[in-house]
Amino acid sequence: MKKILAILSGLLLVSFLVSAEPTEVKLWHYFSGPDAPWFEKVVSDFNASQTKVKVTSQMVPREELLKQYTIGLVGGNLPDIGMVDNPEHASFSAMGLFLDISDRMKGWEGDGKFFKGPWKSCVYQGKVYGIPHNSNCLALYYNTDMLKAAGVTPPTTWDELTAACKKLTKPGVYGLAICGIGNEEGTFQFLPWILSSGATVEKMDSPESIKSLTYLTDLIKKGYMSSEVINWTQADAEKQFATGRAAMMVNGPWNLSAVKTDAPSMNWNLTKIPKDKVYASVLGGENFGIIYNSKHANEAWEFLKYMSLPNVMESFAMAAGKFPPRSDVMNNSKYWKSDPLLKVFAEQMEFAMPRGPHPKWPEISSAIFTAYQESFTMTKSPTQALKDAQKKIDKALVK
Amino acid sequence: MSKAHVRNGEGLSGYFFVLPAVIFMVAFIGYPIIYNFVMSFQKVDIMTLKSATREFIGLANFREIFSAPELAISIGNTVMYTAGCLVIQFVIGFLLAVFFNLGFGFQEKLRGLMTVAWMIPSTVVALLFKFMLSPSSGIINYLLVATGVVKEPIGWLISQKTALWGVIFANSWIGIPFNMILLSTGLTSIPGELYESASIDGASSIRKFTSITVPLLKPAIYSVLVLGFIYTFKVFDLIYVMTNGGPVHATEVLSTYAYKLSFVMYRFSEGAAAANVLFVCLFVVGLGYLKLIREGEEIQS
Repeated sequence: MKKILAILSGLLLVSFLVSAEPTEVKLWHYFSGPDAPWFEKVVSDFNASQTKVKVTSQMVPREELLKQYTIGLVGGNLPDIGMVDNPEHASFSAMGLFLDISDRMKGWEGDGKFFKGPWKSCVYQGKVYGIPHNSNCLALYYNTDMLKAAGVTPPTTWDELTAACKKLTKPGVYGLAICGIGNEEGTFQFLPWILSSGATVEKMDSPESIKSLTYLTDLIKKGYMSSEVINWTQADAEKQFATGRAAMMVNGPWNLSAVKTDAPSMNWNLTKIPKDKVYASVLGGENFGIIYNSKHANEAWEFLKYMSLPNVMESFAMAAGKFPPRSDVMNNSKYWKSDPLLKVFAEQMEFAMPRGPHPKWPEISSAIFTAYQESFTMTKSPTQALKDAQKKIDKALVK
Repeated sequence: MSKAHVRNGEGLSGYFFVLPAVIFMVAFIGYPIIYNFVMSFQKVDIMTLKSATREFIGLANFREIFSAPELAISIGNTVMYTAGCLVIQFVIGFLLAVFFNLGFGFQEKLRGLMTVAWMIPSTVVALLFKFMLSPSSGIINYLLVATGVVKEPIGWLISQKTALWGVIFANSWIGIPFNMILLSTGLTSIPGELYESASIDGASSIRKFTSITVPLLKPAIYSVLVLGFIYTFKVFDLIYVMTNGGPVHATEVLSTYAYKLSFVMYRFSEGAAAANVLFVCLFVVGLGYLKLIREGEEIQS
């Protein structure tokens, strides 16, 4: 009898030890730049803050990650928590990748505190499928020394931008660099120009849209902007600017640290993207959601709440060159208002337009980037390119 | 035990031995092909990806992709790319094989060195050529301008007219050593006595080439062309990294187009249909290759 008791209590002890092991929650993300170590810090701080849940994060490159989600949905490996680019969130909500967390939101202190743009990207058909994690937008970087030498002030309008480019462009130096690559990244960079003339994404063949595309195409035709932009990512545009091969560039706050590291002795500053009729910028950023079939949804929710705590969100955004998507965090912090560079982005954030949200956004975006690439390579006139894009968008929306 | 019985038993154990290979093929090669085939007749998009039952919509996916101009462009580019690569790498590979067969001092080492190109992962080659072909900082344009061949650097991968040639150039660089190795092996297997006796009969070197080298090299030529065709026709990573099918579909091939339909626009079943078009092309060529080999074996026996 004693023996059995000893064995039983031994077993009990073992099972107790086993159950005391923290629940493992798998997380996939695509932070791979200077922001990556700061996100890892959020994860390790969370793991250290309690003993019940252990988040293990894995970096998967953005395009690969989106592919893995779709493959995982049909019968494969999925994590418990997934990161998604906010214009793509509605597509994945429609596919059923994310768990509906509407009920969990009720009674959580963060509910109702997010900015409208990032928040709406998480909502699909009235249900909540994720939480915004960070936001960003675009502004104009300029090389102060080059502008001074050419005798130009930072441009505020398209006409001023053309005039500045004319003076700044010389052998080996282009006036402006943007990212015009044929994917979502390029669409992101193209939209401020579309919106500034008063055009909307719904009507890509309007005279205003055509005016915008004609303006950018002319910058290439006149030699003020390299025709290579169609192959440049935003990181490539940053390299052009940092090596002095472009006097100005359009880029986001996450590249502030890259410019500082790549060109420590260069003098540069920021201003709003020059406007036609109105100042415009586009909202970027990432959201996190719980995967629909996660066995540890409660534990995953604990991490999402931790990640969204005002002080956690603030310190990550500060370190990683992003903006907090929570209005209370943004408004209570002095950081984004006092830093002279971030102030410019903060101003741009006020009119940064979200992409979508629409489950068919990837197709809409594909029509848009095909159009500007056709125009930039002089394959089609801006008018024809945008007319064809509108046809594709109309078709995608009715299907 | 009768003789027939023994043969039967041997046959059965034969099947037993190939069973693992058959299971492997069915599970890892057959299943995805069948799955893809079925999917190309269903409606699978953002809304229906996860649903348990998928609606069969007949040929609608094929009608959809064939009505869009992109598919014709992709097929045209795939054919151009394959033909361009095959001609360039076969001709240069053949010349190099003959050259290394001449029997000078260190040809073994040189030949070994040349295969390095074939061993480098194609994504690395793609990045290398992307840099080398760049108009602002690429060495190819630098050399062309420095030697006065062109006045202005050429935007090889940026212009729609030259982009396809840029990727053909990069792929040929990989393919030449592959052609050379297979053809050299074929060349060394031709007995030297044949050439000797031909010389005694007074045959010219051109005659020796057309009457001895080419006919005896036929099996090697067939395999190098067919393997080269399959390898080139299904290109994905090289183009994906170098141009991503751009600028504006100038280098769009069937594989990149199918990929974009499925994983950029999430039109999954149309992507499957485009992949099937690619599969059918390769399947036909594969069958042709098997037939050629069988005929070759019959002639030999």
